[in-house]
Amino acid sequence: MGSVTGHNLKSLDDIATRLRLHVVNMVAPSGQGYVQQGLGAADIFTSLYFAEANLDPQKPLWEDRDRIFLTTAHNTAIFYATLAERGFFDVSDLNTYVNDGSALEINSCERLGPFVEATCGSLGQGLSVAVGCALAAKRQNRPSRFYVIIGDGEMQEGQVWEAAMLAGAHGLDNLCLIVDYNFVQSEGPMDLVMSLEPLSDKMRSFGFAVQEVDGNDISALLNAYDTARNTPGKPTFIKASTLMGKGVSSLEGLMFHQLRFPAAVAESARAELSEKLHGADGA
Amino acid sequence: MTERLTKLEAADFINRSFKPLPRSYGDALVEAALQDPRIVCLSADLTPPTETDRFRDELPQRYHNVGIAEANMIGVAGGMARSGEIPFVHSFCAFVTKRCFDQITMQAAYPNLPVKIVGFLPGITTLLGVSHQAIEDIALMRSVPNMMVLEPSSAQYHQAAVEMALKHPGPVYLRMKRPETPPQESLVPQSLQYGKGVVCREGSDVTIIACGLEVAEALQAAEALAETGIEATVVDMPMIKPLDNELILQQAKTTGAMVTVENHSVIGGLGSAVAEVLADAGVGLPFKRVGVQDRFCEGGSSTYLLKKFGLDSQAIYSACTEVVKRKNK
Repeated sequence: MGSVTGHNLKSLDDIATRLRLHVVNMVAPSGQGYVQQGLGAADIFTSLYFAEANLDPQKPLWEDRDRIFLTTAHNTAIFYATLAERGFFDVSDLNTYVNDGSALEINSCERLGPFVEATCGSLGQGLSVAVGCALAAKRQNRPSRFYVIIGDGEMQEGQVWEAAMLAGAHGLDNLCLIVDYNFVQSEGPMDLVMSLEPLSDKMRSFGFAVQEVDGNDISALLNAYDTARNTPGKPTFIKASTLMGKGVSSLEGLMFHQLRFPAAVAESARAELSEKLHGADGA
Repeated sequence: MTERLTKLEAADFINRSFKPLPRSYGDALVEAALQDPRIVCLSADLTPPTETDRFRDELPQRYHNVGIAEANMIGVAGGMARSGEIPFVHSFCAFVTKRCFDQITMQAAYPNLPVKIVGFLPGITTLLGVSHQAIEDIALMRSVPNMMVLEPSSAQYHQAAVEMALKHPGPVYLRMKRPETPPQESLVPQSLQYGKGVVCREGSDVTIIACGLEVAEALQAAEALAETGIEATVVDMPMIKPLDNELILQQAKTTGAMVTVENHSVIGGLGSAVAEVLADAGVGLPFKRVGVQDRFCEGGSSTYLLKKFGLDSQAIYSACTEVVKRKNK
């Protein structure tokens, strides 16, 4: 088994598979939802929540915690699955996903609990909040780090660039911005709506240290966080290219923002992921 | 010989004088910050015109100029509030409310964070024109859950306004007007009570409820009315939310005629808020709202603008005589 800074990659891969299985199970009952984004981002969530970030599910308001902001607040199946598996709430609560009255709403919102670090359904706002936290942490001499998972389409919002400008100008090296670069937004592929490229050059010119990684390679992600932690005087931008539907062969590469998810497809996805997980257990 | 300029002060564009304007809110904020280490100050590149230059100079570690980016400033303030700080954010009323309304609702109000939003250049009182005038800000901010809305009537209440903003645990909108003349020696800071209006003058014929600089205009109108035998009660209503419902209903009963006055649109502001209280209680009475009459204005000196757009003491006087006439029919 390979390991990056002491992490067991095999065990992290299994966690990612378990999270993907939750995503399929959570989205299947309504027959539509953010299944492709959830499968695609599972490795980013796994690497952050189960390896990189300093968190204590028993003390979600611990002042020196690292904070993770999901600013693409609609990517909730994977987000809630991660929080539950990490111990912030009961895994059985995932069964209430998008039910009337459930706090597991389609757009995450802090009424679920303080581990939702900000309410970000209105796109483009989360990086500003993280920058405010990062500035306050510097002032208060706290060791916390601030991770923001942003959507690629979301970076079309002007406020993201206001916040990036401030982070760069202040050299906020406790801030790490990760774009889930799946190349799809509401109306289709990004380059058909409005291209962000050259994105890395843009972020570099805003004062960020930039890394480009395969967002479905946990070891590459962990190395990128490690480099970010050891880059003083600059915030880090990680362009994490992800594959929509990653981990389910019938869904991989299907580029849809909102996917209809028929029961038969869900069933085969469930079977494939279960086999991978149980096969892994048996090996 | 012309005097050599050694220091450039940012102009305030309130009047055509180049004399630096006095600072009263800014001093009150610094005093509060010296007592409470959680207070931090944010500015979107309008530090002297929002009286935060003293804070910048004396507490630089707790001051940030975040650049001309108000939407980001609100989010940054939300992050600081989530980190145990009490951010006071500053710009002109027009920019710190209208431009970043969504950010205010999601990053300050919904999480009920102690983000104190401080706007200057209230209503139409600026030379800078329609882009810098805020005639909708009270309407917007009043509609936001958890938000307190406060507009002090003069410098003697600025310290109390900061105190009230701190007393409210959640977000606050402070609508500030810089004094245009140096404060008098005799100026003694006055206190405010949470959710309470201040009766400045008593009379039995009509009640004028005003906020901000319109309180002074209302008092002038009351003096002119007295000369014609009409006695007016003047209420300074600095807290537009939460509103002093009790005082409004009591005044409706006592005088039976009411005029509201605000440096704001008559739609959605103080006048609307008072009308809602009356209607909800089933109270009908001769009533008139003095304010900007659903139109855009233009830049100019305060005196000129108040007269032109019907917000001066003369307009209040006319409104009062009209409601008193209707009452006596």
